[in-house]
Amino acid sequence: MEDSVITFNVFHHVAWGTSISIYFWLVGASAGSFVISSFGWVFNIKRYKQLALTASLTAIFMLLLVPILLIWDLGKPVRFIYLLLPSYWHATGPMSWGTVLILTYPMAMIVYTIFVMLKNEFWARTLGIIAIVLALSTHWYTGVVMELNPGRFLNHTALAPLLFLTGAFISGIGLLILILWVQNMIVSAAKRIDWKLIEEMAQYMMYGIIFDAFLLFLEFLQSIYGSSNAVLGHEAVLMGVFRFPYLWMEIIIGLIIPFFILVTPLKKRRLVLVAAAYMVCFGVYGMRIWWVMGGQYLQTFY
Amino acid sequence: MATARRSYGLQTPGTRGVEGTKRYSMVIDLRKCIGCMSCATACKAEYGVPLGVWRTWVKVGDKGRYPNTRRIFMPRLCNHCDYPVCVRNCPTQATFKHKDGFVLQRYNRCIGCRTCMVACPYNARHLLPAKRTDKNLPNMVVDKCTFCFHRVKKGLVPACVQACVGGARIFGDMNDPNSEVAKLAAKERMTVLKPELGTSPAVSYIGSDWEIMDEPHSYTNRTTQLRREFNAYKRNHKGDTFSDIVEGESTMLQITEHFFGFMGSIPHKLSQVLKSFGTFIFG
Repeated sequence: MEDSVITFNVFHHVAWGTSISIYFWLVGASAGSFVISSFGWVFNIKRYKQLALTASLTAIFMLLLVPILLIWDLGKPVRFIYLLLPSYWHATGPMSWGTVLILTYPMAMIVYTIFVMLKNEFWARTLGIIAIVLALSTHWYTGVVMELNPGRFLNHTALAPLLFLTGAFISGIGLLILILWVQNMIVSAAKRIDWKLIEEMAQYMMYGIIFDAFLLFLEFLQSIYGSSNAVLGHEAVLMGVFRFPYLWMEIIIGLIIPFFILVTPLKKRRLVLVAAAYMVCFGVYGMRIWWVMGGQYLQTFY
Repeated sequence: MATARRSYGLQTPGTRGVEGTKRYSMVIDLRKCIGCMSCATACKAEYGVPLGVWRTWVKVGDKGRYPNTRRIFMPRLCNHCDYPVCVRNCPTQATFKHKDGFVLQRYNRCIGCRTCMVACPYNARHLLPAKRTDKNLPNMVVDKCTFCFHRVKKGLVPACVQACVGGARIFGDMNDPNSEVAKLAAKERMTVLKPELGTSPAVSYIGSDWEIMDEPHSYTNRTTQLRREFNAYKRNHKGDTFSDIVEGESTMLQITEHFFGFMGSIPHKLSQVLKSFGTFIFG
């Protein structure tokens, strides 16, 4: 083959960046925390009722940070209002779906939390069911908003929502473990959450880690047996420029080390378990980074 | 080839080859392109396109080994796709497809979310900078090539076509069998960029080289100089809006820097918002 080189091209930007990746992480952690909150009141697993309030308040707090990131990321921040106006609504735009979900999910969650505080079994359950559907949908949306761009070969995979939801589940549990650990140090002995329950949540986190690793393996196979774009995406983007968030943050720190901790007696040590929870949260954020910025990286040279 | 006519949101269904409709298209004959960049200059002049962004540009490559070398060109612009991904993904109906095939942008509806930039497989969209010499011109909204809609409606050809010294850019209605583009389409072997994406572009190329059309090749086979220039560009155009990563420097440090840049920009943006509210209320 003859040699050929590109000698001149204009330069393009990565349009969505850090703020969007943090937003994806926050929504995921919120949805994951809320799933745990719903265990007690929606799925009637009574031992989880003691942490339902902490979990749902964590979920609400995470989601309240989202508008700061999203609105100030817009070129025209005041025009975020357009997203809410029916005359501007564009039904085929994934972001339009996201707007509805991001608005309704916290509302349902707040009303659910009020009924949890009032200990109203019926309404907490009803609102919990609605809120859990919205929680999962909101995070599903963050997966599809970049998936539905056929030109972004790293993102254009039907596994995207599953990867996001699994990441949400494990990072939500991880975050909750961290918060409950701090809470247990602050509150009186009578109000402390039973550590066995936290260990049980860590067990769920481990199942999530296994499933997440399986999905990543499927993605890896798809990439290395894929088109030249996909292969280069794996070699130059994931194992190149984004090696730290992909390989180190997500796979090694976020999956392998916590998995090792959770399958060995190390998990009995509280601080080690908390460290594993932190690593999972950190690892999931690594996934959000390469997903958002890595997915756009290669095309900036085209 | 028969293609199922699809329609998403503000897209009109694909019109290429459909009787009674127009499909404005551009054919770029690369055998005639000399890489003079007149097209890019004419476009900049026509619209006052700011520095650092382009509605059309010419990508350049070198092919072969000395002494058997050849310079190759690839003029680029919005492909005005029959099935534009940007249109279906826009959340505020800011971008839409005209019935004659133009993909257009409405600044007054654009919120600057850059969804369309993420969606476009051809890098054809850009965000207008916050600071512009003429303050009445739009800023921080997405802009793109319009196929010179305002000129075409008056019976003129787009500015880039008018300025092309080699006559490499040919414009017309592909559905009109007497137009030059339709005659070329019937006679010549043509190709489009990224045909596998199903966007059905309205910009076709005659005599193109795969190397310059290929996305992975554009990344792996850059000259060292181009690599350096791109890194310098990214290093010097760091803003709160974009998150470019400079190759060879710590990715995580840059991401952290982006985050603090973003947070640091919020007070400034807030002051701009309050100022605009003040102007709105007090005049």
